[in-house]
Amino acid sequence: MLLLQLIINGIQVGALYGLTAVGFSLIFGATKIFHFAHGASFAISAYVFYYLYAVLLVWWPISILAACIVVVVFGVALDRYVYGPIQSTDGSFFTIFVGSFGVAVVVQNLIGTVFGRGFISVPSALSKSVELAPGLYVAPTAAIAVVIAVACFVALQLFLGRTNIGIAMRALSESPALVRTFGLNPKAVSTCAFALGSLLVVPAAVLTSMTSGLNAAIGGRVMLISVAATIVGGVGSLRGAACAGLLLGIAENLALWRFDPQWSEAATFLILFAFIVLRPSGFFGRAVNS
Amino acid sequence: MPSLRKAAVLAFSLLAASAAPVSAQDLRIGAIFPLSGANADYGDLYMGATELAVSHLNEAKVLGGKLSIAYEDSQALPQQGVIAMNKLVNVEKVPYVLSAFTGVSKAISTTAARSRTVAVNGGGVGPDLAELGEYFWNVIPLANFEVRAIAPYLVQKRGLKRFVLVYVDDPLGQSIKRELEASLAPLGGVLAETLSVPSNAQQFSGIAARVRDAKPDVVYIASFGAQQSQIIKQLRDNGVTQQLASYSGFAIPAIAGLAEAKGALFTTQRIDWNSDDPVTKRFTREYQAKTSRAPSAYAANYYNAVLLFGTLAASLRKAGLPVTGENLLAKRREIGTFDLVGGRVTFEKDGTIRSAMQINEVGGEPAAVETVPAP
Repeated sequence: MLLLQLIINGIQVGALYGLTAVGFSLIFGATKIFHFAHGASFAISAYVFYYLYAVLLVWWPISILAACIVVVVFGVALDRYVYGPIQSTDGSFFTIFVGSFGVAVVVQNLIGTVFGRGFISVPSALSKSVELAPGLYVAPTAAIAVVIAVACFVALQLFLGRTNIGIAMRALSESPALVRTFGLNPKAVSTCAFALGSLLVVPAAVLTSMTSGLNAAIGGRVMLISVAATIVGGVGSLRGAACAGLLLGIAENLALWRFDPQWSEAATFLILFAFIVLRPSGFFGRAVNS
Repeated sequence: MPSLRKAAVLAFSLLAASAAPVSAQDLRIGAIFPLSGANADYGDLYMGATELAVSHLNEAKVLGGKLSIAYEDSQALPQQGVIAMNKLVNVEKVPYVLSAFTGVSKAISTTAARSRTVAVNGGGVGPDLAELGEYFWNVIPLANFEVRAIAPYLVQKRGLKRFVLVYVDDPLGQSIKRELEASLAPLGGVLAETLSVPSNAQQFSGIAARVRDAKPDVVYIASFGAQQSQIIKQLRDNGVTQQLASYSGFAIPAIAGLAEAKGALFTTQRIDWNSDDPVTKRFTREYQAKTSRAPSAYAANYYNAVLLFGTLAASLRKAGLPVTGENLLAKRREIGTFDLVGGRVTFEKDGTIRSAMQINEVGGEPAAVETVPAP
């Protein structure tokens, strides 16, 4: 029963990892910007939801909508006013990374100043597990996480495959000039990628605020998982990022079956190293041709 | 917002330091607290108490000059603690430094010994802290005493014999594990499972499954800061209904305000907040008025640490001796016993204090459910 419990826990955690990783992968795949502040987007949306829903007692759909708006504005503002100016001058990968890292640090400290650096959580009956079978406990949030992750991923695939802006987003990573040829503005497409990628962290952030709880430094962990899942899934592959997120969540939990919890986090890196060595292109990544 | 209050205290201290004329008689001590990061709540708690003690000493005018504290941020990390200690010793040239957290305290102890600067711990409880040399003092009973107080209570009085330990893998967690292993068997208890977690871990649903699988009567949590709240919440959310127990790390407002922690038992040194002794009475009354918080053992410890310095420095000044680390140590040995919050305290040869302990219940009325005499 312990094994089954750990698999179910892993699927819940993995679904949330997958959603976050897909957002990061979408932004990185379309714009080639290493958006380190993706973890900050996660933290911002989680704290906005917490403040509105748990402190001001605002109705939950309004709280989630507000978290979506704030995080989209944050992502788009970063693209326009931080990454955009860097790209128009220096534009090097490292400079953009440092800029993004700086934003993440500032956001972490701002959240700590405003909300305190301690632990907070959103009280919810949805995070309380019920015993489905002897020794098997599942919380409603587990089912919600899986359903939302699948729904978001299907909607994203439809958007990217069936709409002009979605197709343009995929094209942007290949050739900005081609996007221009078709009468679209690469900057607008990039903005759309940031908006969508940032939006994808909201379900995971809201559910995490109920299950694991939050602290000001939570963005760092989110970023670590997002990068690992993007590499394991194959850079540029959203399907790969989603599957890798799920794999990492399950591996983290399955490691507890036979090993000390210290090995749980190491499982993420073991998988990462294994893919880097044995399959550098990831799950579904394309082979790199010279 | 705790951090805003902390920032205001820091800003006020800086302004006051720059505006007030500095006298040759003025005294400055150091404090290495976690002022940022996941454990900043502790630093905020400690500062409320140290600032109160400074104001009391300055009001009393027993030091011949003004006392002030130079605060440094350790983030509860040993490396940051060492940097802070070097600055306090070499730049600020303070004779007395307040320290917190087991790992940080151990890291700064060598600098304290080498520079003959007194370091006083009021928050870390790792038993190793008793072995850091004559310049390292503890005004808090260490974790070995805490475990030895709660283990018999849980096993013999509550009949909870099967323990699971969830501990952070650092010197504190390892020492609590050693103490539980040594204490439980003679009492008829058993440590059925030990689960160590990295200090930055945030997901504990899998740990909860392992805990349930071990079928414990009681789950002892040895962590600190934001992480221990996360552990409690996720254990409770994931079907762990057994009794929770811990050490004095639970004596913070975050745990008192956490619904899932209600009923958890934890140890602290014995302090009767309704005591008639004037030091305790004044601290209890004014700490509540100044910080809007109920007094806690941690707050009392850091108030005591500053008060101890005041007593020693006043004696040295009266004797016409300079306030140095060496003289403070000699004077502490000479005086031996001090009137502090909680009553009269005597230092052991190893620079630690022994005190009666109490077992507290989160949300309990009354909070203290058992008193254990000093060993």
